[in-house]
Amino acid sequence: MAYQKPLPKPNADDRFFWDGCKKHKLLFQKCQNCGLVRWPPSIICPHCHSHDTEVIEANGKGKVYTYAIYHQAYHPGFESEVPYVTAVVELEAGPHFLSNIIGCSPDDVECDMPVEVVWEDITGEFSLPKFKPIS
Amino acid sequence: MGLKDKYAIVGVGYTPQGRVPDRTALSFHVEAISNAIKDAGLKREDIDGLICYRHFPSFSGEPDVTPYLVAQHVGLAPKVMSQEANCARDQLLNALCWLEAGLCSYVVISYAHNPLSGGRFFGQGIDNYNKAVFGQFGATSGYAMAARRAMHTFATGPETWKHIAVGQRKWANLNPIAMMHDRTMTYDDYYNSRWVVEPLRLPDNCLVTDGGRACVVTSVERARHLGHPVVAIMGLGQHNPACEIEQATNMAGPTGAKLSGEIAFAMAGITPDDIDACEIYDCFTYTVEITLQDYGFFKPGEGRYWFQDGTIEPGGRMPVNTSGGQLSEAYFMGLTQLTEATMQLMGRCEERQLGPKTNTKTPEIILCSDNGGILQTHSTTILRRL
Repeated sequence: MAYQKPLPKPNADDRFFWDGCKKHKLLFQKCQNCGLVRWPPSIICPHCHSHDTEVIEANGKGKVYTYAIYHQAYHPGFESEVPYVTAVVELEAGPHFLSNIIGCSPDDVECDMPVEVVWEDITGEFSLPKFKPIS
Repeated sequence: MGLKDKYAIVGVGYTPQGRVPDRTALSFHVEAISNAIKDAGLKREDIDGLICYRHFPSFSGEPDVTPYLVAQHVGLAPKVMSQEANCARDQLLNALCWLEAGLCSYVVISYAHNPLSGGRFFGQGIDNYNKAVFGQFGATSGYAMAARRAMHTFATGPETWKHIAVGQRKWANLNPIAMMHDRTMTYDDYYNSRWVVEPLRLPDNCLVTDGGRACVVTSVERARHLGHPVVAIMGLGQHNPACEIEQATNMAGPTGAKLSGEIAFAMAGITPDDIDACEIYDCFTYTVEITLQDYGFFKPGEGRYWFQDGTIEPGGRMPVNTSGGQLSEAYFMGLTQLTEATMQLMGRCEERQLGPKTNTKTPEIILCSDNGGILQTHSTTILRRL
C-alpha cells in the first residue's frame, strides 16, 4: 500500500538535511564563528548572525526533552497508529529535534530517557530519523 | 510607558455563541462590532480605528474576512485599520498606541469565527511538513509537550489541572450564555474523560466556538461622558519568547508571562496581592497554571496546593475566569478575558457577579492575560474601575 502519511517537502533551507536522511546521516548546520549547531536550518546563526556555516553529522544519540501521546489522529495517515508518541529529542550534538519514539510502549517513555536514532525508509526518496530507547 | 489610567474599555459587543449554524465568520464580526458601538453609547461615525483578528487562510465558500470587508459591512472608514493574526497578542496595545499618538479617538477591536458550523477548526491543516511527517499537528500537542515537561520539572499534573477545569465549570454554570452552562463537572468526570493528546484530557482543552466578541477603547476623559462606569487600563505588558515549542526551553517557565506581568504590574504600581480576580487566557488548563505561577501568585509546583479548596471558584479567595473562560464559556481569544473583566468591573454580570452575590470580594482591580502560539507570545492587562 502506498505511504499514507505526509511526506517531507524539502525547501532551499532544509534540502541538505533530507538528502542526508536518505543516506541515514543526521546532518545539521554548525556556525563556524560561535560553534552553535542549529535546527531548524537557517541562512545565518541566530546567536551571532554569522553566515559562515559547515554541515556536521550528529551521532544520533540524545535524550527525551519532552513528549506527547496522541490518542486521536489529526491526519488519516496516523489513524492506525494511535496511541503514538511525538517527542522533542535533545541531541548530544545540541539541537532539539522533533521526532517519534518507537520501539517501546508509549507508557514507558519518560523525560530525560536516553534514545538513539533509528531510520525508517518510507519511500524510495525519503527516510525519517526516528528514535528508540537505548537499552 | 505612562499609560496608567489614561485609557478605558467603554463598550463590549456579544453575539449568539456556541454552535450557531448558517452564519459566516464575517457576520459575527459585524454583529459584535455593532453591539460594542451601541453598548458604548456611540455611533458608527465615532469609530476611527479598527483592529480585526484575521484567520489565515480564509474559509472555502466564505469571503476572506479582511479588515476592509469588516469595515465596509459596519459602515466604517477608519483613520487607522489593522489586523491581528497568527497569534501575536498586540491588538489592545496597538489600539492604545493609536489613541496615544492622537491618531484615533475610538478604536474597536473584534474577534469572530465559525469553526463549529463552518467546518474548519483553528490550526487545522499542515503548516510545517518537518513536523507533520512525524504526526505533530495542532496546538494541543504543543501544550501537551509543555505540560509534560512541567510535570517533569516541578511535579504538576492532572491533580492540579482538575481544579482549574472544575473551578471554571462552576462559573460557567452561573453564566447563561456559557456553552457549558447546563453541564456540571466533578473531579471524577474530569478523570473519566478521554485523552486528546496525553497528558491533556478533553476538559483540559478550550472550547471551539461559533460567534464573535468586540470592545471599544477610548480615553478615560471621553469615557467619563459615556454611559458605563469607567473601566480603565491600569497596566499593560507584553513579551514574545517567540521560539517554537519544539526548540523552546522555557515551557515549564519562565514563559512570556513573567516579563509581561512584571511590566504590567510596574506600570500599574501594584503587586499580585492587590488583584481581586483574574481572567487568564486558558487555551488549556496548564496555561492557567503556568501563567499564574509566572505572575508570582505561587512558587513553581505550589499550584497543586494553591488551587485546592476552591480558590478560583465562586466563593473562592481568588476568582479566576468568572465567565467559565475559554474552557467552559466560549473561545474568543483574548477578548473572552477582556470583555468579562470589563463586565465584572461595570457590575453587569448578574448571577456570576463578583461581590456579595458570589461570596467574593467586590472587584476593583482585575488582571487579564492573553497568550498565543505555543507559549510564544503573552500580554497582560490590568483593569480597574475608576
